[in-house]
Amino acid sequence: MNKNLTYLAVAVMSCLGLAACEKTTVDVLQPLKNDLLKKTTGPAVIGTRVEFAYAIGANDGTVQNVKAEASIAGATGTGFSGFSWYTDRATGVDKPLQTATDTVTNGVLSTAKILDVSNKAVTLRYFYSVPEAARGQVVSIKFSGTSSAGKEVTFTTPGYQVSKMDMVRSIVLEDAKKSYFSIADMKAYTKEEVEQRNLSGKIDFVYIYRPTISTYAFGHAMVSLANKSYITDLNLPAAWTKAATKLDKRVDIRDAQLRGSGFDSYIDDIDLEKTTFTNAADFAYGLAADQGAFVTSADGTYTAYIFVNAVNNTAKTMTVSMKRLKVK
Amino acid sequence: MKKGIIYIVFAIAGLLVFGGCTKEPVDDAGLLITGRSQCYMSFFDLLGSDNRTVLVSGTTQIDTLAQTITAVAKFGTNMTRVKPYSSVVTDATVEPKMGVWVDFSQPMLYTVVSGNRKIRKQYTITVTVQK
Repeated sequence: MNKNLTYLAVAVMSCLGLAACEKTTVDVLQPLKNDLLKKTTGPAVIGTRVEFAYAIGANDGTVQNVKAEASIAGATGTGFSGFSWYTDRATGVDKPLQTATDTVTNGVLSTAKILDVSNKAVTLRYFYSVPEAARGQVVSIKFSGTSSAGKEVTFTTPGYQVSKMDMVRSIVLEDAKKSYFSIADMKAYTKEEVEQRNLSGKIDFVYIYRPTISTYAFGHAMVSLANKSYITDLNLPAAWTKAATKLDKRVDIRDAQLRGSGFDSYIDDIDLEKTTFTNAADFAYGLAADQGAFVTSADGTYTAYIFVNAVNNTAKTMTVSMKRLKVK
Repeated sequence: MKKGIIYIVFAIAGLLVFGGCTKEPVDDAGLLITGRSQCYMSFFDLLGSDNRTVLVSGTTQIDTLAQTITAVAKFGTNMTRVKPYSSVVTDATVEPKMGVWVDFSQPMLYTVVSGNRKIRKQYTITVTVQK
């Protein structure tokens, strides 16, 4: 019996020993290496910029040049920044340090020359300003760098889907003034402007602020011109087109791009494509900062999410930002 | 004698094993059918499109004898797109399912089904809006 146990123990140990002999790969020291982080987490919306951190280090010689080649030329603002960033150990604050010069963008190609002071290893920021030409397209960027030893390394990103939607930020709506909002135009008009320029067909909702209606709390609201309950005091001309826009209030969608900061949650094309408005109201009321509403124009041409950045009861204003998608 | 005891122990163990394999009855939704015959609704709420309650606090009245629920929704509530929720007695279910968007502009009928699925009580839920 004891003998059997001994054999068993030996067998188990042999197995363990064999497993321990598995091959491990050891990274061979390369003369020039690179890596990439995409720092921007939100969708690539036209007019925004996507930030990358491109790192490159040389074991042989020094890093001399870096370049990035986008599959679709970026808009103005695309290119390398001449600064790297480090965290100040005393204060914990990130500080810039110039590590590159001659940062140039020409068409799809952006280049930078690494300064002598930090030429063994460097991480540079590259910003891709999403251009109109990329709407709905897939964009990829090929990063590369060269060393004084004549070596070259490259890093090609996967393809990034650029959103089809538009975004506009910080529109101030003012009760009884710039309060008539057009999703198509992405701006607000006064009643006089709507009248003079015959824009009523383009107006999707009017912003009103009423602390109470019939003694009940009402507050800041977006109301379709077709609504018959809450905007009777506006005395809209009979000749106006009064489109029955549908609005669906939300309190839990804090889009970081519309908000400007704070949360890593985003509305993208798919959210606007998939949102349904079955039995949705023609108004959204009681709105406060960080809330909003999905809105669809009466003819279904646009679906939008309107985010409330701020409200002001005294000034009777509401600042909004919008993502909008043409769905028809 | 000892052998006899061993046989008895095995027999009992066998019975227990077989007994453990008996299938509990479940309904069409895969929910356990139990022996409970209690059948009533104990709580009701209605959410708006922002997933917040639209009911005015303290206005909900549940009459388990008359099988009615009345409540008052806040001024401005869009009653055509609301989502009802309720609590029922242990093991009971509700038909049709709650938690989906419905038009509540008219009184709605929901049936509570007891845990043993033998008792059914239809509740009429009426929600009026502040005007």
